[in-house]
Amino acid sequence: MSATTYGWLILAAPLAGSITIGAGWRKLSPQAAGILGVGAIAVSFLSALGALWALLDVPVEERQMVDSLYTYADLGGIKIDLSILVDPLAVFMALTVSGVSMLIHLYSLAYMRSDEGYRRFFAYLNFFVFSMLLLILAGNFVLLIVGWAFVGYASYALISFWYRRNTATAAGMKAFVINVVGDIGLVLAAILLLRELGSVDYLTVFDRAPQHFAVNQPTAIAICLLICVGAFAKSAQLPFHTWLADAMEGPTPVSALIHAATMVTAGVYLIARAHPLFELAPTAADIAAFVGLTTLIFAGTVALVVTDLKRIIAYSTMSQIGYMIMGVSIGAYGAGMFHLMTHAFFKALLFMAAGSIIAAMASRQNIDRMSGFARAMPFTSGLLVVGSLALAGFPPFSGFFSKDEILVFAAERGGMYWIFAIGGYVGAFLTAFYSFRIVFRVCFGDPCEEAEELIRTGLPAHGPPENPVSGEPEDVAVGFPGADHHIAEKNWEMKLAMGTLGVLALLGGLIQIPGVSHLLESFFDGSFGDSKLYTTVQVPTGTAWAGLLIGALTSLLAISLAHHLYISDRSLLARIRAESSQIHDFLAAKWYFDELLDLLIYRPLTAVGRFFDGFAERWVVGGVVGGTVAVVRRFGSLTRTAQSGYLRFYAAVLSTGTVGLGLYFLIASS
Amino acid sequence: MLNSLLWTPLLAGLIGLALPKRWVGTWSVAAAATTLGLAIGLLLDGSYGSDALNYVVDESWIPDLGVRYSLGVDGLSIGLVVLTAAIWLATVTWSALHPPRGGDDAPASARNPALYFAMLGIGETATLGAFLAQDLLLFVAFFDLMLIPFYFLVGIWGQGERRAATIKMIIYTLVGSLLMLVGAIATAVMAADGGTVSFAIADLREHLLGESSQKWIFALFALAFLVKMPAVLVHGWMPDAYRSCPLPVLALLSGVLSKVAAYGFLRWAFSLFPDAAIDFQLVIMLIALGSIIYGSAMAFTQTNVRLIAGFSSVAQMGFITLGIFSMRIDGIDGAVLQMINHGIVAAAAFFVIAALYARFGTEDLTEMGGMASKAPFFAVAFMIITLATLAMPGSANFIGEFYILSGAFQSKLAIAVIASGGVALAAFYALRMYQRSIHNRLPEGATSRELDLREAAVIVPLVLLIIGCGLVPNKILARTEAGSSASVSALVSQCREHGAAPTECAAEYGLLGPTNREGGFEPSESDGGAGNPTE
Repeated sequence: MSATTYGWLILAAPLAGSITIGAGWRKLSPQAAGILGVGAIAVSFLSALGALWALLDVPVEERQMVDSLYTYADLGGIKIDLSILVDPLAVFMALTVSGVSMLIHLYSLAYMRSDEGYRRFFAYLNFFVFSMLLLILAGNFVLLIVGWAFVGYASYALISFWYRRNTATAAGMKAFVINVVGDIGLVLAAILLLRELGSVDYLTVFDRAPQHFAVNQPTAIAICLLICVGAFAKSAQLPFHTWLADAMEGPTPVSALIHAATMVTAGVYLIARAHPLFELAPTAADIAAFVGLTTLIFAGTVALVVTDLKRIIAYSTMSQIGYMIMGVSIGAYGAGMFHLMTHAFFKALLFMAAGSIIAAMASRQNIDRMSGFARAMPFTSGLLVVGSLALAGFPPFSGFFSKDEILVFAAERGGMYWIFAIGGYVGAFLTAFYSFRIVFRVCFGDPCEEAEELIRTGLPAHGPPENPVSGEPEDVAVGFPGADHHIAEKNWEMKLAMGTLGVLALLGGLIQIPGVSHLLESFFDGSFGDSKLYTTVQVPTGTAWAGLLIGALTSLLAISLAHHLYISDRSLLARIRAESSQIHDFLAAKWYFDELLDLLIYRPLTAVGRFFDGFAERWVVGGVVGGTVAVVRRFGSLTRTAQSGYLRFYAAVLSTGTVGLGLYFLIASS
Repeated sequence: MLNSLLWTPLLAGLIGLALPKRWVGTWSVAAAATTLGLAIGLLLDGSYGSDALNYVVDESWIPDLGVRYSLGVDGLSIGLVVLTAAIWLATVTWSALHPPRGGDDAPASARNPALYFAMLGIGETATLGAFLAQDLLLFVAFFDLMLIPFYFLVGIWGQGERRAATIKMIIYTLVGSLLMLVGAIATAVMAADGGTVSFAIADLREHLLGESSQKWIFALFALAFLVKMPAVLVHGWMPDAYRSCPLPVLALLSGVLSKVAAYGFLRWAFSLFPDAAIDFQLVIMLIALGSIIYGSAMAFTQTNVRLIAGFSSVAQMGFITLGIFSMRIDGIDGAVLQMINHGIVAAAAFFVIAALYARFGTEDLTEMGGMASKAPFFAVAFMIITLATLAMPGSANFIGEFYILSGAFQSKLAIAVIASGGVALAAFYALRMYQRSIHNRLPEGATSRELDLREAAVIVPLVLLIIGCGLVPNKILARTEAGSSASVSALVSQCREHGAAPTECAAEYGLLGPTNREGGFEPSESDGGAGNPTE
């Protein structure tokens, strides 16, 4: 089979899974639905492997294959096809997404077991994977936008999965609307491409762009910045990041799948995909890189002080995506994609571990209340440490190799790109510090009440579930893990998924070691071979190892500091917090971004709405005709003799009046 | 063929008056289904690859006045004809399954379903007539005739302040219609210039008026159309009428009648007053932009679900007007596609509102919530309608809006950029309505109930239609493209008087489509070759 046939198969399996589960939920048992869900993704993953196999079979320069199903829209001679592009970048993404998704589906089998909405969950989850793969495999910008928006919808549906929680539905709405803003950016970019280049097909656009645009031509910059709006909204970069932390209202597997491993990396993929355009607009690429850098520092500082376990990991996600955005914007495409992959492994793992712990804590998410889980849940704690080490970039874990590759590329490009290298190491320090803040808080110390009970009885503590944000009791009738939901370390599905990810988080970095192996690098030649930056900036092995050394030291330093503050000398931590309470408050308020957006956008809009509703509707719109009616009515009351038939009278007056007026103009103008 | 399509609904409505009460519903559904069948026959049988008219009927009607009974259908109108027949079938079916009763103080005639269905029949004939007419006076006559059945439908079967609502509706639309009548007569008289007066579109096209006369007559037509849509500032009749109107009738008002106005711009205003249309381009585009912003802002402050849908309709009609007045092939064809999409979606939304009302007993969004738990299919159907309303990529509405924005982008950049903000607002108000009725907590006393068969019989086919259009939007685009490009060329050819050469002038106004764009891309032979990226 050809690579494109595998490509269609990758898409078909999860779509079929979603429709089957969604339409047949009354007939399917929950087990069947779950197995169907996992199976569909497994088929997708195997097809992605098939596509990889088929792609490796052809010479490097032929590894971009397009296949079209039918014409989606055709206007003025410009066709938009329902087509897919299978190339190394797409296959790499498809493998990562379907692979990690498969493990998260497996985890969900057990994690969601006692939920009333079990089948609905798998229907949504399969739909999400279909949308994400559509986004990845799309062969033109319009189909990309379709996948892009479907992913946004799937995210909405899954964030508000427990739809009786008002906080969850509000968070879903926020995510959806911000994502729509991103969609608009992409739509405008596609329209501009259509106007300038007469096509929205990737290959045609990338082929024509270099002849059509001079370097840094304003239109090219505009196109790239509009693409960036889409990328930033989806990837939760400043200033479109506020939805991601709220998205943690969804079930934990959703956070792992969508809000860490796959969907939020779509922006990184998009910039890598559109790299021929970004290389024609270096200014836009630099802006994107700066946004990535700012986000990675911003999110890193917020993660230092937030106390909600899932939100710390969410801010960490923003920060890590900042690295990737920075990487693909400065031309380190391979390194950016490499980090995307390793991040998917360790971040999914961290969320899974967090999910187990939160379940054991009866849905309480505050890390200040957690301690001593190393004894209560050794397997989970062990994997939490593995994930944290990978996140902290500790050698030889996967994050160690991938993060440094981006930073040494920046250093090697030189000039102002040094800023990205230095900023990146500062961010790495923050990362290592906050990831071990979690580890030291959660795993070490004397067991907290819940951990104690777990050790004693073997069952996690459970009261009736309540909303961690608002404290309301949850409505378990429509789907929420009930009081007898015991999942901590009990199920082989969860252990298998977490164990596999643990191995990948540990060893995933080894496919690309400076001077030893460069599997990814050479595989990506089929997609990035045309790039000047990618081929000219070659990092010498010595520099690469120097970078790795700095990374290792940064990580070690930060972990020891965290150990000192959270384990050895806790009074020092309290003193620091007391003395810098203003900084602490500023960070804990997430730099007041929510308040700022509320003030700048939401409030003015509602004010305008109220103004329209009150003043304009009443006086301006009503006035236009209200006045007329009043005049006619007064006139009518003078002449009318009978109460009935006043409507006919209005009509008569009006028609005579208007016809007369019209005739007057007719005579006057001719 | 066109005659039987046009008069079936009216005749069936009149016959229904003589039938026993319990047969009327079935009889009307059968008649509406027949009409839809005829319309689909036209769609499948006619050829819409060029701008030529199909099934032309041309009889002398009032020879003394030069009025002809002249009908025809082309790519511009065929989609709207099918839409009209389809939405009417939906409304008639819904009404047959949920007999209209009217408010508490309804007059005795409200208990006569035959009268209700006869009014619907008259309304359908009038609407189809407006789409098919090829004679200016005939168009105006049908356009005015549309008003009468709706006056009775709101006045007899409406709720609340129905009397005030009908008065407002009549005054607004009557003023518009009468001004248009004056304009139409003036056009024919002045075009004849002392010779034989004719209202036929072909004759009028041959003798275009001078620019100054065109301008004020265009203004009269534009006012009538903008009131009917409605557009911002002249929408004063809409809130009251929407509050009172029976919901199935509202599906027609919002889904179909508003499209007659938009179609009027394309068919009549552009062909007869091209110079004026070009002169007024910016003004109308600004009004359209106003409608988008005003409609959206209102839609997300209202709590009455009818008004949310109503103001959303104002905003969507703003987008359609924007596309039409971009005066480019992509904008216009996008607008025609969007008229069809919005017709389906808006109608479906009002049936959903009817279903919500049946469950909550209120139309206030703040008193709704949590319907999803026992009603998953209802939730899914409503979700699909909501997503299509906000022009979710993947729906045909997205393709329509994409081309509308593309057209507007190239003729008036700043307006298009601001208008695209309306897309985000649409996401907010559409989702807000969904979320607050389907999600969150169920209010005291309400129970979650799945769509019953009588509701599903109407809502499910509409949802399937939305999905179908989303999968193959090109089936519609391919049929409407020739008609749209004819509208553009009517303008471009006339652009001569504004500048040196037609193309130059047209380029200045941004009138040309992507194919004939000045300095456009010459596709080379190697382009479009899949799998040879090395080129």
